Amino acid sequence: MKILIKIIIVCILFFSTNSNAQSQQKIEMRIDSIGNAKLTVSMTMNAQQWQVWNSNYGNNPSALKRDIERSMPAYFLDDFKLDKDDMNRSFNLSLNAYGVCEINKRGKWIVDTDQKNAQLTELTENKYMLVSSPIEYSGNLQQTFIIELPNDAKNIKVDKDAYGKSVFEFDMDAPTSSFNFVQLSGILLLVIGGTWFGKNTISKKKL
Amino acid sequence: MKKLAVPLAVFLIGLALTAFSFFGSKKGNADDIDISIEKSAFIMPAAHRVYSNPEAMDGKYYLFKAKITNNSSETLEDVTVKYRIPNYIEWTELTVSGEMFPGQTLVVPCYPKFKNEITEKTTESVEKAEIEISWDGAAEDDVIEEDFTFKLTNRNEYVYTGIKAEEISSYADIYDNDALIACFVTPNDPVVKYYTQNLQEKILKGEAAGISKSEKDAVRFLMGIYEATRLSHMVYSSTKGVPKSTEDVQSLVQQVRLPREVITGNTGLCIELSTLYASILSNAGIDPVIFFIPGHAYPGFRMNGQYYAIEATGINGEGLGGIASAEAAFKKGQEQLQEFMKYAQMGDPRYTFVDIHNVNNQGVTSMDLKDNDFMRKKVDDIVASWSGGQQVSSNNQGNDIRLSDNNLRTNNPLSFSIPAGWQTMMNPVPQIPIVTAQVVAPDQMTTVTIYDIPVSNTQQGMATVNQYLTNFGMQMQYQINGNSISGVTYSANGNFNWIGKAVRRQGGIRIVAVGAPDYLYNQNSGIINQVYNSIQ
Repeated sequence: MKILIKIIIVCILFFSTNSNAQSQQKIEMRIDSIGNAKLTVSMTMNAQQWQVWNSNYGNNPSALKRDIERSMPAYFLDDFKLDKDDMNRSFNLSLNAYGVCEINKRGKWIVDTDQKNAQLTELTENKYMLVSSPIEYSGNLQQTFIIELPNDAKNIKVDKDAYGKSVFEFDMDAPTSSFNFVQLSGILLLVIGGTWFGKNTISKKKL
Repeated sequence: MKKLAVPLAVFLIGLALTAFSFFGSKKGNADDIDISIEKSAFIMPAAHRVYSNPEAMDGKYYLFKAKITNNSSETLEDVTVKYRIPNYIEWTELTVSGEMFPGQTLVVPCYPKFKNEITEKTTESVEKAEIEISWDGAAEDDVIEEDFTFKLTNRNEYVYTGIKAEEISSYADIYDNDALIACFVTPNDPVVKYYTQNLQEKILKGEAAGISKSEKDAVRFLMGIYEATRLSHMVYSSTKGVPKSTEDVQSLVQQVRLPREVITGNTGLCIELSTLYASILSNAGIDPVIFFIPGHAYPGFRMNGQYYAIEATGINGEGLGGIASAEAAFKKGQEQLQEFMKYAQMGDPRYTFVDIHNVNNQGVTSMDLKDNDFMRKKVDDIVASWSGGQQVSSNNQGNDIRLSDNNLRTNNPLSFSIPAGWQTMMNPVPQIPIVTAQVVAPDQMTTVTIYDIPVSNTQQGMATVNQYLTNFGMQMQYQINGNSISGVTYSANGNFNWIGKAVRRQGGIRIVAVGAPDYLYNQNSGIINQVYNSIQ
């Protein structure tokens, strides 16, 4: 979430507070089973906003990447992809952020929202929404945040950290571990050897 | 017998393999852990409190950040990341991750907590940071040890940028560390405090600018600082500013004498005089500002949304000639400020300023300095040289400072004074028709909002406002006491503290509320109370 908010700040730098039309911005954060996040920011603008945004970032995506990286100095980001739809004056920006959530000493997964009393709406078991209209844009910008926790997340709850900020806390098992050849071979030989031994013992008794 | 031996052997091999798979394999090893580190090229002792604060400037100033990925097929338990800087910081635990799944990445930024003694460092050195990563069950050989070197500057060195040379694309990038100049502004230095107290007593013969928030009083104070430096024959002099580089970063590194050194050395460069003025102004409760233009810097202050400046280097010195009076220095400063505003509004990136209290709120705080008897005695000597000084008046020699009185008086029963420079927007939020107007301070944060609500009492009025705000994802907590109301509005962007008044008017209730985000409220409480008291 902290990540999301920083991205938004970068993406809306160009906004004019005098504009009367309300713009919509959608930000999705999808967290995978190992705690990395895929972020997607999409937005449609009016003609004036589109012109300004294009001159700042749209025609220079590396500047957008650089500004986002600088606004989130403590993170490792990569795989930036910017898709523009010039005909409809909209863009879709996606990127990866590593280690967005981690496991605490008690074995709980933690996602920091960096907000006090975050007003979260539960959409599904693992999907939450937050709608915000920043006061500094005089209600001209509505942001919809969608936070999707991993499918395997269990016992999800919104708690508070030591600073009173809202955090997601949940349980999740380790992803299925990779193929253990040694273990499987051992079990297979145990079964074959045991069955063979038993069969031979029985046939020996019959004889 | 042979018939049984072969299957028995197969069974035993299977048993051995199974046992080995459970007990024989190690829980990950160093080769399976991928680590990449991004480090800071320079660390400035003056900014040691900034480096130690993860919240400062959104975490921009770290020593290093590490990306650790578990590429093994095992889940690692209790992964611990520690670091140390020999001679400065002992082994310190950065994080303990309860578990680290195969493929999982841990991102660990390091914000080093140097001891206060680092501000006594007077030479530059190259230091080594050591990092250790371990986990439960890791063999001694598998504990990962990494290290890197960085430059630890002396306490007076100010590095203009930390951006890699290959990434620099603009003027702003070259001066990316502008905000850190606030670390050299030391209002809490006992020597600066002592100097300020003497100035208030001996030069100004008393002042109350920090309390009255009167621009006239503050300008008088500004000119008083100049008068103090002029009377003590303080001179303009340069210091070393040389380009330095590490493998990635190339930056101009300026020696900045601390305000206490400027006072006792009785000499300073433009940036040093600016930090001296800012320290004294801050100590006296005035919001200091340092203006940067190409090749120069000068001090000033912000009050009631207006900016004022003075050309501190007008003292020059007998060797340089042309020592300006306080009035001339202020006039020159104001002229420069006009030019500054013109270029800044045109978007010229070379014209920037640092609002010291504003960056203080973002975590950029001054260094800790100890009291020093020798320096206090030097201050006493300097104060003795002021004896020929005259009391500074803002109105002498025809230098009458014009201050705006930009009052908004509506025909409605409720009106209030708008400080100069604030911007008024009528019906700013069409989605909330009860918001008649909004008046915003130049900081774009401190705001007055006027609500006209067709209800019969204050309680109903506040309930209506709350209902509208709820639709925008905000919630209010408030207390009504007579016609006064105070409260907090919670939103995704933080808390907004406010105070206001409600009165009856024809057709309903009018509520005027003035406030600021919680992190700015105390700093702006003077102007907020001024607006609140003017509500009629």
